[in-house]
Amino acid sequence: MDVLGLISPLFVFLICAGTFVGIIFGAIPGLTATMAVAVCLPMTYSLGLENGLALLLGLYVGGISGGLVPAILLGIPGTPSSITTCFDGYPMAQRGEGEKALRIGIFSSLIGGLISLAALWLFAPALADFAIKFSYVEKFLIIFFALTVMAALSSDMLLGIFSGFLGIFVSLIGVYDVTDGGNGHFRLIPPGTEYWLEGGFSLLPVLIALFGLATILDEAEKGMPEGLALSQIKVGEHSRFSFAVFRGQIVNLVRSSGIGTFIGILPGVGGSAASILSYTMAKTSSKTPERFGKGEPAGIIASESGNNGLTGGALVPLLSLGIPGDSTTALLIGAFALQGIQVGPLFIGNNPVTWDAMLIAMLIANVAMFVMMYFAIRWFAMVVAVPKHILYPVILMMCVIGAYTINYGIMFDVWTLLIFGIAGWLFGKLRLEVAPFIIGFILGPSAEIYFVKSLESFGDVTIFFTKSWIALLLWVLILGSVVGSILLSRRAKSGGATD
Amino acid sequence: MGNLTKVQVDFATSHLIFPTLVGCILAALGLAILIRERRAILASPAMWRDTFAQMDKVRFFGTLVLTIVYFSAMVPVGDLRPNTGFGFLACSVPYVLLTGLLFMQERTAPRLAVLAVVSIVAPLLVWWLFGDVFFLTLP
Repeated sequence: MDVLGLISPLFVFLICAGTFVGIIFGAIPGLTATMAVAVCLPMTYSLGLENGLALLLGLYVGGISGGLVPAILLGIPGTPSSITTCFDGYPMAQRGEGEKALRIGIFSSLIGGLISLAALWLFAPALADFAIKFSYVEKFLIIFFALTVMAALSSDMLLGIFSGFLGIFVSLIGVYDVTDGGNGHFRLIPPGTEYWLEGGFSLLPVLIALFGLATILDEAEKGMPEGLALSQIKVGEHSRFSFAVFRGQIVNLVRSSGIGTFIGILPGVGGSAASILSYTMAKTSSKTPERFGKGEPAGIIASESGNNGLTGGALVPLLSLGIPGDSTTALLIGAFALQGIQVGPLFIGNNPVTWDAMLIAMLIANVAMFVMMYFAIRWFAMVVAVPKHILYPVILMMCVIGAYTINYGIMFDVWTLLIFGIAGWLFGKLRLEVAPFIIGFILGPSAEIYFVKSLESFGDVTIFFTKSWIALLLWVLILGSVVGSILLSRRAKSGGATD
Repeated sequence: MGNLTKVQVDFATSHLIFPTLVGCILAALGLAILIRERRAILASPAMWRDTFAQMDKVRFFGTLVLTIVYFSAMVPVGDLRPNTGFGFLACSVPYVLLTGLLFMQERTAPRLAVLAVVSIVAPLLVWWLFGDVFFLTLP
C-alpha cells in the first residue's frame, strides 16, 4: 500500500486533535499523557486501528510535550518527565524570559521526538526479526529481564520488585485460558465470584483506575488545592527567542535525545529518568556547570529533548517484543487488544500498513506539536489555570465510559475502576510502585504461558540456562541489572551519608 | 543432581504452577520487606492516624460515596429506557454537578453557573459522541 494513501484528512485531523488534547493534559499539573490516552482509548474502538493509533500517538506526543508549560511558567512539572525543565525554565520565566524558555523547550522537544522516531524506524524491525527466532524459554527470560530492569530502576528496588510480582499475581486471577494452551480451570477466585472474574480483571479499567481515579482521589485527599488564577501566569513580554540560542548546543541536543531514546527502550523506566539523566550529562559536560539551575537554556534543551526522545524509544520494545516501554505505551496495548491484534515480534511483518501508519502518525504528531505550541504558546499557557472542579468531574465521567465500553458493556468493569482506583491511592500510601505493577499485570499471563510451556516441553528447569546463548546472555543482563541497581543504591546511600 | 532439576508437568494441575510460584516469591519478598521496614510498619498506626487527621475527609469520602452512588444508580436508571444510554446521561449530569460542587473551593455565583453549564453540556456531548457517532454501548 502506498504510504501516502494512509494520510487521509481524518487521519491527519485525529493526530492534530490528539496532539492538541495531549498538550492540554500535559500542561495541567496532575494530568498526564497516560491519563489522556486512558480517557480517550474507548474512542478508538470505532475508528479502526490506524486512525485510532493516530489519535493515541498524537495524545502521547502532545502529553509528553505539554508538561513543559507549567514547568517553565510555574516551576511545577506538568508531567513527571518535565521535572528537570523546572530547574532552568522557571528561573528564566522569573526574569521575564518565559516565552523564550518555552520556545527553547518546544524546539528541543521536536528534535528529541524526531531523533527517537528515527531510532524506532531503524531498531524496531531489526529487533523484531531477531526476536522471531525466540522460543518460549527466551520469551520468558525477556519478560523476566523487563521486570528486573523496571524494578531495579524503581525508587525502592525491593518495593519495586514486590509491586511487579503483585501485578503478575493479580493478572493470573481467572481461568487458565484454553486458547493459550491452558487447562481451562479457575484459580485465585473467591467462591461465588466466578461469573465476574472468569476472565480476570480487564486491563483497561485497571489502567484507567490507577492513572485516573487514583490521581483524583489523591487530590481529593489533599483538599483539591486551587490552581492558579490567569493573572498569576506570566509568559514574559520582553524576551525574544532566536534559534541562535542553539549554537553550540547540537551535541547536547543529540546526546540528550539519544539518552531519552535509550531510556525509552528500557521497559517501564519512564520519562523522568530520561530527563534527569540527560540533564545530569549536560551539566557535567558543560564548561559552565555553575549556570545550571539558574536559568541556563542548555538545561531546558537537555531536559526536553531527553523526555521527548522517550516517545519513539518506548515504542521499540512494544512493537518488537510486545513489552511496553513505559506506562503510556502499556495503554497502547489496550488499543491493539480492542482491535483484536496482538503486539510482538510478528507485528511489524504481519501489519506493515499499521507500522507505516504509526511512523507517519508520530512524525505528523511531532510537527503538529511544534507548530501548535510554537505559535500558540500564550493560549496553551492559559490552560494551566483551568479549575480542577470543572476538569476532574468530567475526567471521572470519561473514566466510566472507558471502563464500561471495553467489554461491550459490563458493569463489573466499572466496579473494577473503583476497586483499583482505591488500590492505586493505597499504593501511594504504602510506597508501592504503580509502573512495575502495571507492567507485571500486562506481562503476567504471557510469562505464565511461556514458563509452563517451557517446562512442559523440556521437563527440566535447567533449560532456562542451557537453551541457547541468547538465554545465557539474558541471564547476564538480568544479573547485571540487579547488581548494578544494588551498587547504585549503595552509592546513593553513602553519598547521602557523606552529604 | 540431574533428577533434582527434572519437572513433570501434570496438565490437570498446570493452572496452579505459576500462581503458586509467584505466590511464594511474593511471600518471600513480603517477608524481606517486613524485616527491612519493621520500624516503619510498627509506626504505621501513627502514619494512618496522621493521614486521616490531615485528610480532607469531606472531599475524599464524598468523592467515594458519590462515585459508588453513581455506579449503583446507572443500571437501574438505564433500565427505564433500555439501550439508549439514558442511565449514563441521567446519572452523569448530577454526578458532574455534585463532584464539581464538592471540589470547588470558593462557591461564587459565576463559578456555580459555569459548573452548572458544564455538568449539562459535558454529559450530553459525551453521550451523543459515544452513542451516536462512535456507536458505543452506554449504560
